[in-house]
Amino acid sequence: MPLRLVAPEWSLLVPPLIVLGTIVLLLAIDAVSERAARQTALPLALVGQLLALASLATIDWGEGATTFGVSYRADWFALVVSLIALVAGILSVLVSAGYTESGLEPGVGLAEYLALLLFSVLGTMVVGAAGDFIVLLLGLEMSAVAVYALTAFARRRLTSVEGALKYFLLGAFASAILIYGMAWVYGLTGSIVLSDIAHTLRTVVTPGQPLDPALLLALLLLAVGLGFKIAAVPFHMWTPDAYQGAPTPVSAYMSVVPKVAGFAAVARVLVQGLQPLSEQWAGLLGILALITMVYGNVVAIAQRDLKRMLGYSAIGHTGYMLAGLAAFTTGLAGDRSVGSVLFYLFAYAFMNIGAFGVIAWLQERGLGTTLDDVAGLAGRAPLAALTMAIFMLSLMGMPPLLGFYAKYYVILALIEAGQLWLAVAIVVMSAVSAFFYLRVVTQMYFQEPGGTWRPVRTPLLGLGLAVMAVATLALGLVSGPILELAQRWPAALT
Amino acid sequence: MERLPILSLITYSPLVGAVVLFLWGNASTRAVRWIALIASGVSFALSVAMLLAFDPSQAGMQFTETFEWLPELGIAYRLGVDGISAPLVGLTTLLTLIAVIASWDPIRHRVREYYITLLLLATGMLGVFVSLDLFLFYVFWEIVLIPMALIIGVWGSANRVYAAVKFFLYTLAGSLLMLVGIVALYQEYFQQTGIRTLDVLELAQGNYSPTFQFWTFLAFFLAFAIKVPMWPFHTWLPDAHVEAPTAGSVILAGVLLKMGGYGFLRFNLPLFPEATQRWAPAVVVLSVIAILYGALMALVQRDFKKLVAYSSVSHMGFVTLGIFALNQQGLSGAMVVMLSHGFVTSALFLLVGVLYERAHTRELAAFGGLARNMPIFAAFFGFFALASLGLPGLSGFVGEFLALLGGFQSYRWAGVLGTAVVILAAWYMLRVYQRVALVRAPGEPPDPDDPELRMAITQGVPPVAGGGDADQHTPDPRTFPDVTWREALTLAPLALLTLWVGVYPLPVLDVIELSLRAILAAVTGERM
Repeated sequence: MPLRLVAPEWSLLVPPLIVLGTIVLLLAIDAVSERAARQTALPLALVGQLLALASLATIDWGEGATTFGVSYRADWFALVVSLIALVAGILSVLVSAGYTESGLEPGVGLAEYLALLLFSVLGTMVVGAAGDFIVLLLGLEMSAVAVYALTAFARRRLTSVEGALKYFLLGAFASAILIYGMAWVYGLTGSIVLSDIAHTLRTVVTPGQPLDPALLLALLLLAVGLGFKIAAVPFHMWTPDAYQGAPTPVSAYMSVVPKVAGFAAVARVLVQGLQPLSEQWAGLLGILALITMVYGNVVAIAQRDLKRMLGYSAIGHTGYMLAGLAAFTTGLAGDRSVGSVLFYLFAYAFMNIGAFGVIAWLQERGLGTTLDDVAGLAGRAPLAALTMAIFMLSLMGMPPLLGFYAKYYVILALIEAGQLWLAVAIVVMSAVSAFFYLRVVTQMYFQEPGGTWRPVRTPLLGLGLAVMAVATLALGLVSGPILELAQRWPAALT
Repeated sequence: MERLPILSLITYSPLVGAVVLFLWGNASTRAVRWIALIASGVSFALSVAMLLAFDPSQAGMQFTETFEWLPELGIAYRLGVDGISAPLVGLTTLLTLIAVIASWDPIRHRVREYYITLLLLATGMLGVFVSLDLFLFYVFWEIVLIPMALIIGVWGSANRVYAAVKFFLYTLAGSLLMLVGIVALYQEYFQQTGIRTLDVLELAQGNYSPTFQFWTFLAFFLAFAIKVPMWPFHTWLPDAHVEAPTAGSVILAGVLLKMGGYGFLRFNLPLFPEATQRWAPAVVVLSVIAILYGALMALVQRDFKKLVAYSSVSHMGFVTLGIFALNQQGLSGAMVVMLSHGFVTSALFLLVGVLYERAHTRELAAFGGLARNMPIFAAFFGFFALASLGLPGLSGFVGEFLALLGGFQSYRWAGVLGTAVVILAAWYMLRVYQRVALVRAPGEPPDPDDPELRMAITQGVPPVAGGGDADQHTPDPRTFPDVTWREALTLAPLALLTLWVGVYPLPVLDVIELSLRAILAAVTGERM
């Protein structure tokens, strides 16, 4: 093949470029004047992401155009992932408002914080649009490395550094395993392009036959590597420490966006690249899903620290989403598997960032992060308690909140794929999860308040929480268009 | 067709009230109560209008409303009522209004939050009865849980948090399995017909395999059996009732339990006719156990409210017995018992509330001789006690008679056992009436003219001690004032309805008959 230099199709890259531009601008202002950065960084990060969100509308995603060869794909899947990443990014910036105003140490800038956050959003968008292993890995690492740094942002607090170190070491380890798996796939198929891999494998693999051991090894390596990224049990060890140790707004962020990146990578690698092996990996994901949801939800019961509890509950939700992916069935018309997971991630962004946001709101007011700290909140701050109750009930899956619709679609996908046992498992685990989510509500509404209370004003954080609470409350009722968008994934991945 | 969406108006007018209360942060307590009263009053007035306009000569759904919602998933906003749901809607709005009035004085802290919760609860309950889409139904079904748990947990008595959490987890566990059943049903119907829908009426046309019916019946059954509650799923009920505030108990007994019975009639029977026939004997056994067990437990209670709660278990046993007898009399009886239980047991809970307001205890031993200083209370209490034990001429008799008749036709032994229990009901109800209204109050000196005392003096028989082991700190029942006009206002309509249904049940039976016959035809496979 003769070497040809072709200019990339810039118009497809507008949204990530806007995010990148915002990052550069943030750092440039910070370099010139730290004071100016303090004042402009927050609005700039918000506006930049909103612009990027708006620019999504300028691209015709239905075409499935590619650029940089086929390395970067602008298809429906990329659109939905970018959408979720940007929405979650905006919400995270709002949640960070209180923290960055009061909690930063001198010398560690607000602009740096937001730049790192945006880098991670950018990485996630890139994963969603990845057409080959290299771009996928680039995006995944961009998303992860920024979050390692963010986890350690409270650098004088031991737990923050400890969480970051654990997260980093295990994350790097996982990346190595993932790359090793990719190398095996490359060696076996001669390609790193996802669509080519699928094409080659289709000619090699016959359904119903046992797999070539080398291919099986490659699949396992990929599954382990990706399992770390999405914190599936038994690769979840870093999650609770990282969630608890990180500054709360960072916990809010990393409970969602890196997970979006992780699931986007799983979908790209397994559903698109290794689709001919779906028989094998769907079964594997089903088992992982079951272990993950059981472990996360059961261990969460024993937690008294809210951030840690949300860390384990995040593992539980990973299990539900994995179950959605496990519903993938080759050749099933109207397969909802990936669509249900995308919708779940979308819903999860609102309710989980919201839940952490309320904790951040409480911390601004001098309270800790344990169950005792939320006692009697309903008497003290009825709106905050109501907001938290909405998030808890939504995470539990109570109708008519957003979380219920998310769970409903996953269950629907599973039953349509004939995987009744996973659907029942989700339902049983939802009942188990009621224990610990409800305990927060019980504490807030039925107990007497304790601890000190320092009234402060945090308008931006309040606004963010209000937006998320209203979205959690009402978005489910009008979830049709979002679902329809998420449901277009087969055009991109198959 | 341009028509007033009356069912939506009925369902959402409490919600509107709740939103107004939520937004009006500094409303005075007085204003809060009046807004709640107006919202529930509007809902009630509309439902009366709906009942008057209801055409009993039609078996199908009336006042239907349909909007597309999530068409890709076959989910639509479908409302409608038939002869089964229309009376229950009326019962719900009436009891909500009564609950608002009954909470007027007793609820003194967090009044605004209380009425918001109560109105949300009303919307949820009404939604359950008017939904014709399984998804919508499930949404409303679950919505009911949260405000009810809050009412118990925030405004209840000493052990309220335990009771609230127990109530929540029990009912949640049941309903989650129903969700799987709903989705499975949806998928099965899709595979058979290629149509994605959650329309109850359309799904009932499907022809499902016996194995499939067996399991999905069970998934739905559990949710409803816990709500009813049937023995052995009833253990949440006494706790919830005892701890709930009076209005909470009224709603719980009057409406929430009916959601279970309604669920059987609306979903289990028409959707899974074969499984219904297969499961029916087992359900009848459980029903008879519930009737017996509830009555026996009621006999030994010292707590007034717990006694009424266990009598509820017994009465609801008649409902399930009537339903699963699978004949016209049984079904009609079940419906009438549901309505009658809504009037009578709610009234009994109101009466317990009246006493609790004065004595701050529900120990039976703390009361006595109330007929003297609370004659109106005693009259109401006597009336509803008689209605509860099934005195002919009052509503309880009509329902239980029909339900037993139905039970007798299908399962002779069940009818016989159930009838025997009516004697137990008379025993515990009359005993509690005697205890509260007639015998001497604790601490009261014996009456010198008392023939019993005279006998004791002349023959050496010890007189029956007044009261017994009551707490010394409870106030003297002889000082209790009679019911206030507001309390009387909550009791009087229930008494009138009890009497009306008891003496002249024909209009009610007319309304429910055709719809029940349609359900029966679906189960037994006969064409109408």
